[in-house]
Amino acid sequence: MTKELAIHAKGISKTFHISEDSHNTVKHRLFNLFNPPRSKRVEAIKTMDFDVYKGECIGLLGRNGCGKSTLIRLLAGVFPVDKGQIKIHGNTLLMNLGVGMSHQLTARENIYVSSSVLGLKIKEIDKIFDQIVDFAELREFVDTKIKYFSSGMVARLGFSIAVNAGADIMFLDEIFAVGDMKFQEKAIKIFESSWIEGKTVILVSHSMDVIQKYCSRTAFMKNGSLIYFGDTATAVQMYVEDNHK
Amino acid sequence: MIIAILTDWFKRSNKSERIWLLAKIEFKLRYYENKLGLLWALIKPLMDIAIYYVVFQTIMKQDIPAFASYLFIGLISWNFFVESTTGTVQILHTKKYLYEYSNMNKLEIYISTLLSNSIGFCFNFIMFLLFYNLIEKGTHFSTLHTLWILPLFVNLFMLALATSLILSNIFVAAKDITQVWQVFTSFLFFLSPIFYGLDRFKASLPGFEYLNPIAGIIINARKATMEGTNPDFKLFLFDFSYAIIFLMIGLFLLNKLGSKAAEKL
Repeated sequence: MTKELAIHAKGISKTFHISEDSHNTVKHRLFNLFNPPRSKRVEAIKTMDFDVYKGECIGLLGRNGCGKSTLIRLLAGVFPVDKGQIKIHGNTLLMNLGVGMSHQLTARENIYVSSSVLGLKIKEIDKIFDQIVDFAELREFVDTKIKYFSSGMVARLGFSIAVNAGADIMFLDEIFAVGDMKFQEKAIKIFESSWIEGKTVILVSHSMDVIQKYCSRTAFMKNGSLIYFGDTATAVQMYVEDNHK
Repeated sequence: MIIAILTDWFKRSNKSERIWLLAKIEFKLRYYENKLGLLWALIKPLMDIAIYYVVFQTIMKQDIPAFASYLFIGLISWNFFVESTTGTVQILHTKKYLYEYSNMNKLEIYISTLLSNSIGFCFNFIMFLLFYNLIEKGTHFSTLHTLWILPLFVNLFMLALATSLILSNIFVAAKDITQVWQVFTSFLFFLSPIFYGLDRFKASLPGFEYLNPIAGIIINARKATMEGTNPDFKLFLFDFSYAIIFLMIGLFLLNKLGSKAAEKL
């Protein structure tokens, strides 16, 4: 049986140009037409190729600043690549502290908007609406604007939408850091149930236990380069050694 | 290709549903949170009409027949364009939550916001028809030619979408485009035949209706709704061409600058 591609990345790279002077107004740009701002090049992602197949759970390891977050933003289609090509088959969800929500909208409106952005039809959202509200423990505040919520309540709602709505390809960036201890336990439970079954997942975590438990293949990154992509045990070993240098 | 895209939008994916959902929420946010609610959508143009009527008909004695209706159709077209463009300059910033966590097509965000404004335009247009047919004195009743408003509105929608795309993507690189556009729209307002008689406008700025697409749309909207005639097809063609060219520029900018919005804004 041939494996179906979820993500195909070929020769991708990303460099950020961090300028000292912002030059972000028309006036600035006109007056400095022949004096472009000095900028520092930061090679966040160095040329790399890889494929991720449908239904895989991939781990992503590396020390802080190695380019993990940039890579998942490129793969999720949030940032454009400078070079190379990424083919994404399906809709994506990039999740760290929940999903994107508007503070001007109520919890109900955010549930509909975010779930719709994740690819669900209104009838499908109607079906999971109560599940989302109950999981987030926000039944009493469903018609309250989320600008009046505490940060924990917002995070719970975002997490609950992501868990119940999902997406074809999910990029989970340190998701077990959401909410209080009780909610974290709930998050782990849901993760261990059928949530990620059949979904393509790229999991970013500093927890070796989490990576070893769920990921069939793992990538190890260092200074923007993909050093290794394959067997999880080897990637974990390389990460541990890198941390002890 | 176009059929394939439309089939995808309306049948296979949830795109059309999502756009309508976002449009409804936008509309609700704009009007239902005020004390007067939806009435604001109607009061605003009526108040504008009253002001310009007093200035241009009572004080300056322009003597344009059915001047209140003349102003009404001009102002609601103009207001749709200005609200759709001024209100969306920062759209990639204000609606960032929609695209920073997923690969949602940014064009949907623009279309939903303009659809929300279109709901307002529809209310205003119905008010115009009621006013013109029931209150305005010395006029003929609306004819079938009024239906020309549909393609004219499509033209206006495309032009507003294109301008919105251009401005909001420039905003990614130059934040003060907001102020520049405010000044420009004030200028454009006086260079459009909103409260001037058409003869005076043409005599003072000969050929300018072909350079200013908003002027062309307003002139044709009056022909269709008040004069009961076909629009000036040459002008119509010019305005559609402007909308298509600007739309292509807007989409190019969305691809070039807008794709970097998540990292720049």
